[in-house]
Amino acid sequence: MSNYLVLLVILPLLGAFLMQPLSQLLGSKQAGRKILQNFGRAVIAVTLTITYIVATEGEGVLQLPLSLLMGGFVVPVGINLYLDQFSLLWLVAIQVSLLILWPASRDIRQHLLLLVVAASSMGMALSGDLFNIYVFYELLAVATFGLVAQAPHPAAAVVSFRYLLLSAFGSVLALAGIAIIYSQSGSLNLAHLSAFVVNGETQFPLAAFLLLLVGFGVKAELFGVNGWVPEVYGVVSSRMSALLAGVISKIAVVVIVRIMLLLFPYPEASQALLVLGILGMVGGEWVAWHTAQRGGKLSTTLAYSSIGQLGMIFVAFSFSLTLGLFVGVALALHHLIVKSGLFMLSSAQLNRWQLGLFVLFGLSLIGVPPLPGFWIKLAMLQDLWATGGGLEQLAIALFLLATVVEASYLSKIISTQMVSPQFKSAKLGGNSEERRNLNLAWLYGILLFGAIFFINPLAETLHGIAVQTEDGELLRSVVLENSIDPLAGGEQ
Amino acid sequence: MSEFLFELNMLDSLLLLSAVTVAIAILCRVEYISGGVVTLLYLAQLVVVGMMISAGGVFSSHLTPQLFGYELGWLLDGLGLYFTLITVGSALLATLYMAGEWGRRYREQGKSFRALQSLLALNVFTMQLLLASSDLLSLFISWELASWAAFALMALSGGKGLKAALHYMIYAFSGAMLVFAVVAWIATTAVTAAYQLDINGAGILQFSSVAELMQQGIFTIPEQLLMLTLLLIGFGIKMGLLPFHLWQAPAYALSIGPAGAFLGAISSRLGLFAIIVVLFKIFGSITDGSILQSSFGFEFASVTPKTLLAWIAVATIIFPTFVAMRQNDARHLLAWHGIGQGGYMLLGLVMMDSLGSAGGLLHVFNHATYQAALFLAVTSVIYRTGTADLNRLGGLVVRMPLSFMTLLIGIIGLAGLPPMNGFVSKWLVYRSLLDQGELLLFVGAVIGTLGTILSVYKLIHNMFLGSLRKEHEEVREVSWSMLTPMLILSALILLTGLFPGIPLQWVAQGLSAVGLPVAEFNLGGVMADGGSLDMVIVSMVLFSGFGVAALIFYFVGGKSKRVNPLDNYAGGHFLYASNRYHYSNNFYAGLMHLIKPWYKNTFQRLERVVVTLLELTAESLSRLYMRPHSNQLALIIVVLLLW
Repeated sequence: MSNYLVLLVILPLLGAFLMQPLSQLLGSKQAGRKILQNFGRAVIAVTLTITYIVATEGEGVLQLPLSLLMGGFVVPVGINLYLDQFSLLWLVAIQVSLLILWPASRDIRQHLLLLVVAASSMGMALSGDLFNIYVFYELLAVATFGLVAQAPHPAAAVVSFRYLLLSAFGSVLALAGIAIIYSQSGSLNLAHLSAFVVNGETQFPLAAFLLLLVGFGVKAELFGVNGWVPEVYGVVSSRMSALLAGVISKIAVVVIVRIMLLLFPYPEASQALLVLGILGMVGGEWVAWHTAQRGGKLSTTLAYSSIGQLGMIFVAFSFSLTLGLFVGVALALHHLIVKSGLFMLSSAQLNRWQLGLFVLFGLSLIGVPPLPGFWIKLAMLQDLWATGGGLEQLAIALFLLATVVEASYLSKIISTQMVSPQFKSAKLGGNSEERRNLNLAWLYGILLFGAIFFINPLAETLHGIAVQTEDGELLRSVVLENSIDPLAGGEQ
Repeated sequence: MSEFLFELNMLDSLLLLSAVTVAIAILCRVEYISGGVVTLLYLAQLVVVGMMISAGGVFSSHLTPQLFGYELGWLLDGLGLYFTLITVGSALLATLYMAGEWGRRYREQGKSFRALQSLLALNVFTMQLLLASSDLLSLFISWELASWAAFALMALSGGKGLKAALHYMIYAFSGAMLVFAVVAWIATTAVTAAYQLDINGAGILQFSSVAELMQQGIFTIPEQLLMLTLLLIGFGIKMGLLPFHLWQAPAYALSIGPAGAFLGAISSRLGLFAIIVVLFKIFGSITDGSILQSSFGFEFASVTPKTLLAWIAVATIIFPTFVAMRQNDARHLLAWHGIGQGGYMLLGLVMMDSLGSAGGLLHVFNHATYQAALFLAVTSVIYRTGTADLNRLGGLVVRMPLSFMTLLIGIIGLAGLPPMNGFVSKWLVYRSLLDQGELLLFVGAVIGTLGTILSVYKLIHNMFLGSLRKEHEEVREVSWSMLTPMLILSALILLTGLFPGIPLQWVAQGLSAVGLPVAEFNLGGVMADGGSLDMVIVSMVLFSGFGVAALIFYFVGGKSKRVNPLDNYAGGHFLYASNRYHYSNNFYAGLMHLIKPWYKNTFQRLERVVVTLLELTAESLSRLYMRPHSNQLALIIVVLLLW
């Protein structure tokens, strides 16, 4: 069954390649266009089913983790895909988000690019070696450039070019980091490399981590390389913003966390993550506040807020203990739901019910009990207190201050909406796309609200994920099973 | 399920009833019915609270969810019951006020009565949850809920009220975050400590367990002090303690009339409640100086948390009271006093002796009664005249005599003069200050009272005394639906002034619940060494004095003639109605001239400084994102090189 895993990457890519000839064949007829419209979605639905089958071996119970050796070549000669609960969570998140946020536009190119996004982001989540991660990362980058450049906005071309520059710069850095690692160990497989680290054979230099961090950090909205965020979110549609902020950024985080856990299990690496996380958090939230004070665009405010939230996620992940991973994953999931919902609400004037929904998202984002955001923030604070160094205490203070700042600008936005004329008339505004977005927001609202009643089971599940993610030994044993002795195969 | 319902105790039924009230307020679309139904539901809640008080003891709810590995619990002891009584009582009277004519006009103006009603009910429910919380987590959760419910109620008024509500929200949320930090801190350490101390891990955040942790020295004394400070600031913000008081007056004053009465009466007292819990249930041991001295090894020059708090309380009494005096809007004036009165409560409680703590806690009840009465009276005046501007009113006593009477009784209570209830609680606080030899604090408290008397005179004079304005000639007294709660409150102020023993027995239950000493009391007052207070005697003396004066007035020199209030003469000249003969603008001009240099708006400036600092950081941070990315690239390279 695990052989099907590779279909998750191949099917969307195949779909993307087929899109063009299909449109030539079917594009002329009404029914054909209908088929084309739903083709991409159908592909994702199929991959989602495959995900379920692979993860449960068709038996309804998770059979994880599992590793797939491509072409039967053993690690480190061949490449492998690795699926554990952590990557499964993100696979599901990617596919479900894509299904929900799939654009209604008739522009086939957009659908095509989204399929590439699906393939590459799932590839990133699954890849067991650095080089494949890099390849998928590049593919993802190219697809997102296309999506940004297509946006119906006069500045789209300029923005996507600047995004491309920054992203390309990041790729170079990441590649340099990978090069350092390869030159030291002669291997690129994560499990293989981590075996070196655990055996004390090699200690990869911090510079390699920093290069990888900053390189992949471009997509993860890391402080210093997130200048593209407000520009891009200001240009693309709400759905694309939701997709970029909610899912794509998280995939990059997932990769960074994996690399840090396996290859750089020493305090300096976590500290770099912590410092950059704090800077991102403070910077993002403060500037979001500033933007809202100046009456800036809602989508821009949300973009900065997203930077701040990702900063918090980095802070959480910087404690590579179980609790840290737990909080990080929870924060990331929460942000995915809330920010997608908020972006869905950002494009139109709201009536009072929609504003109520906006308030719900806002309250959870700033962590008002009993919404899920509160429990996550509680765990986050406990995490910081438990680690308890000076930097962590600074992080507590800034984290809470950032929360207050967040509350300030969200309430500012809400009160501005409240006095708008549309609010009183309670009429639905906007065109059909905007109306559909508003309806989608309800879906996220229900997810969030429903989570209140499942706090305990959710916490347990996430805890299980965190435990499995932290367990490098498990990963090594699963991946390196039946493979060449890593130590024997070390220095080639 | 039926088994569960059968087992509902009184606290469960109270919370259930309160939740039902919220649900009905939200769901009942027929607004003229919902006013009555909700009022009846509050009455039912009051009955349950009354039954609980008369039964005495501690009621614990069956509501004990296990969340995140912690067991949350709710239980109501004497202290919580006392505050719950005031909460439900205020809500009942505020709802009664708006159930009739007031509500009808509110609906006719196209506003949502349902929203007002539901948010008020939500406030009551969340406040009950807060008052019944038995552990840090349930305290924090209900605290947040109550804060946001209060915010929503304030924001409902829109316009300037919304702005004030946002201002409140920032303050309240900042406070809540401080509390959050401490709760998480204690929770983090407590889980490991639970094993050592053999306390049930899930219930580790219960107040008693946390107090145990503090006594066992799981946290060092400096750590405990830091926690205490953060908690006091966090909760003190809600109470309007200096220097975090700026939000309160506009937020309460600009709330919708009856909602303002409710909020002014009880909402900010939740801060006091939480402070009492923190001070006496958790950190009881470190408030006096001895432990500090033993742990730091040197004398603290008599600066203990206790004296520090007492001085903050006195500052809270003095500054807002004199700010109140400058207000030209009746609601703002009252709301500023509300802050100052909170100071008396804290001052009494931190004295920690039987008289002071009884006075402080009793003042909560007394304040609620007269503040609600005053707010409702002012709301009535606004209802009839459309303004609460003290420069645009006057002479209303002949048109609205019952509102005048309510206001009169209210301000006597507020000023703390006999025979009203405010006198009793202030007397107890003063006595305690004198007993403990705190002369400076006493002087401070008296200065506050002086300011109160001056400003409440301004209030009643500018609204009800002097000459009637021409545009108010047709003004009538408000309807009975609005008068009834006002008169009930007036009666309460007077009755509990004459017989302070009634509220004192609730206070006694509250004090013993937190382990504070309880003074001996009877129906008429308090018995203490070196001078008791018996309000029955005080009032008899007072009333007989009035009686003698009335006899002289009516039978000896009584040459009075009723005239139309617009029928005025001065120096033998007829005064036309267009000639205003009412001295209200620039009231207390002479005094103001003297003390004006003292008003420096220091706190506004402090607040401005903080906001400006935030803005500056935000501005410079936003530069990072506004410029082209080359800067960032340079930044990254520099950082990488430095590493």
